[in-house]
Amino acid sequence: MSVQVTIREEACRGCQMCVDVCPTKVFTYDDAAAKARVSGVEDCIACLSCVYLCPSMAINEAGYTAVKNFYRDLDFSRRMERFL
Amino acid sequence: MTTTKVSVNVEWLSACGGCDTSLVDLHEKILQLFDAVQIQHWPLITDIKERPKAKIGLISGAVRSQHDHKVAVEMRERCDAIVAFGTCAVYGGISAASLAHSNAEILDRVYVHNPTTVGGAAPKNTVAVLEDKVLPLDEVIPVDLYLPGCPPHANFTFEALAAVIAGRVPKARDESVCGRCKRTMKKTEVAAIDSGYAHPMDPSLCFLSQGQICLGSVTLDRCLSPCTEVGAACTGCAGPTMQILTEPNRDLRTEVAERMSLLTKIPAAKVVETMEAGAKSHYAYAMATKMVGSKPTFLIKKWIEKIEATT
Repeated sequence: MSVQVTIREEACRGCQMCVDVCPTKVFTYDDAAAKARVSGVEDCIACLSCVYLCPSMAINEAGYTAVKNFYRDLDFSRRMERFL
Repeated sequence: MTTTKVSVNVEWLSACGGCDTSLVDLHEKILQLFDAVQIQHWPLITDIKERPKAKIGLISGAVRSQHDHKVAVEMRERCDAIVAFGTCAVYGGISAASLAHSNAEILDRVYVHNPTTVGGAAPKNTVAVLEDKVLPLDEVIPVDLYLPGCPPHANFTFEALAAVIAGRVPKARDESVCGRCKRTMKKTEVAAIDSGYAHPMDPSLCFLSQGQICLGSVTLDRCLSPCTEVGAACTGCAGPTMQILTEPNRDLRTEVAERMSLLTKIPAAKVVETMEAGAKSHYAYAMATKMVGSKPTFLIKKWIEKIEATT
């Protein structure tokens, strides 16, 4: 399955950080709406740079294989599952 | 809603009462809630001292005193599920600012060498003995669900309680405060940090774009972003976002600095330095939890020493 990238439009503040950080130019900037758009999802390498950098946490990626983060604290991560 | 009512105990530890009061902010929805739940113990609105057995226990406030500790343990024994309700219960909250000092120093400052007190003396008959340090609820008892927020907005509270009562997974986004903020983020030529108090700020432009430190991008949205709408930068009261909590190499000051340096001409190092100088405020809400306090990058004692050496 290929990678899917979505931006929750209402949450996008138009900062263009995702446009700038993306190494494969997946995003373009819609000047009229002052929002970022996903325009080249087929090039996405799922580096997740945009996901981590987005100030609103408004970008979602799906359909990629996650490599286990060796530095992630598993105990804290499990606790996250119980956050409402 | 269910026909048999779900029993609920509400309890506060070292809290301001804001979380309990926020439950009343459910407005008419509180009637729906009362159709489904039977409140058995709630110090804010009832005078019932006993804590009967209950399905759900809502606890707000941090564990600051031995009394808090005892109450938390008793609630755990009496309730099937415990919800840490509000930032203080989840992360320790603002009383965590006391972590920078010993209990003796705090008692001395409050009762003896207080600038507005003459001839003060520390109280001999303390109502409740202080714990050695502030603890979030999950350091004392196992917690089933966490609902941060100072207080959590009624929308989240209602959704959380409705989901717990119905036995389903609650709908909650893990977006930051920026996700609901109405301001636009634009790249600017601003080259210096602005306190935001010296002159009027643009009410439609992001604080970071204007050089003012705002914790919106590193704070979990459990508030629907009311502060930025009325001209106040986010102080991070609902605690850090999931990526900061789960990943030791991510931190409030570095994430704000990275984004601010991308939006303005202010170097990231300058933002980091400013946030370290104001660390007691910027980290206030969540530093008692090990998720933030035990980060290898979190060196608050060192930062405070640095500030005290220069003042």
